[in-house]
Amino acid sequence: MAKLDGKKLLACCANGAGSSLLMENAIKKVMTRNNIKPAAISHCAVSEGKSAASGYDVVLCAKPFAKTFDGIDTSKTTLITLKNVMSDKEIEAALKDAGLLD
Amino acid sequence: MSTVLQDIVANKHYKFIDGEGLTWQDAVRISTESLIADGSVSDNFHEQIVACIEKYGPYMIFEHNVAMPHTTENAEGVYKTGIGFMVCKNLIDFGTDEDGEKKEANLFFTLCSANPTEHMNNIQQLANIFQNEELLDALAKAETPEDILEAERKYPCGED
Repeated sequence: MAKLDGKKLLACCANGAGSSLLMENAIKKVMTRNNIKPAAISHCAVSEGKSAASGYDVVLCAKPFAKTFDGIDTSKTTLITLKNVMSDKEIEAALKDAGLLD
Repeated sequence: MSTVLQDIVANKHYKFIDGEGLTWQDAVRISTESLIADGSVSDNFHEQIVACIEKYGPYMIFEHNVAMPHTTENAEGVYKTGIGFMVCKNLIDFGTDEDGEKKEANLFFTLCSANPTEHMNNIQQLANIFQNEELLDALAKAETPEDILEAERKYPCGED
């Protein structure tokens, strides 16, 4: 079983309507390509992201938003920051670095 | 089903400008003009986008000099879902990002969303366009709506 099977992933951006959707789209590609079946892939605005984070196993955001997540419980939620939010290759590499993908 | 680029042409949501010496704030405003023209957004819609970029930096500028200015879903002053496309002959300077990297754009895809389903469909298509470098190069040279359609015919995005 893949590590991310049954996990919940959240993509965040400033508005929850642009780059987070591009990210969600790219995450779905990575999941399909690696034959992973996460329980949920969602998106939201960073203003809601921090409080929502505890309900997710992985939170992904663009670099400028990383500091919004200061203080989240990193033992439960992995924060992944991206330079290029629509790059499925960068997402795949980041998940591997975080030990979430083989 | 029509593609987003076909919709842009059908709805006259396009603009071709020179852009020399324009500030990014002015460029963002001009990119919304085609959306204002048919009542998709209010005439001060750009102010929200400018405020967001001023707050968070130019994170809406992607690789290949592509800008995707946008606000939230169902933002104030948004009445329809669409994409305001703009080509600038000259690059618009958006300053630097958090790593000190210079951000410039000559292709604008300015989003407004009143309907999440239509908006998601637009985003999925844009994701493919943004990774189709040949198409982006051809779009950057477009001077007429026919050029947009021709670029897409020449360099179609694959389904995935």
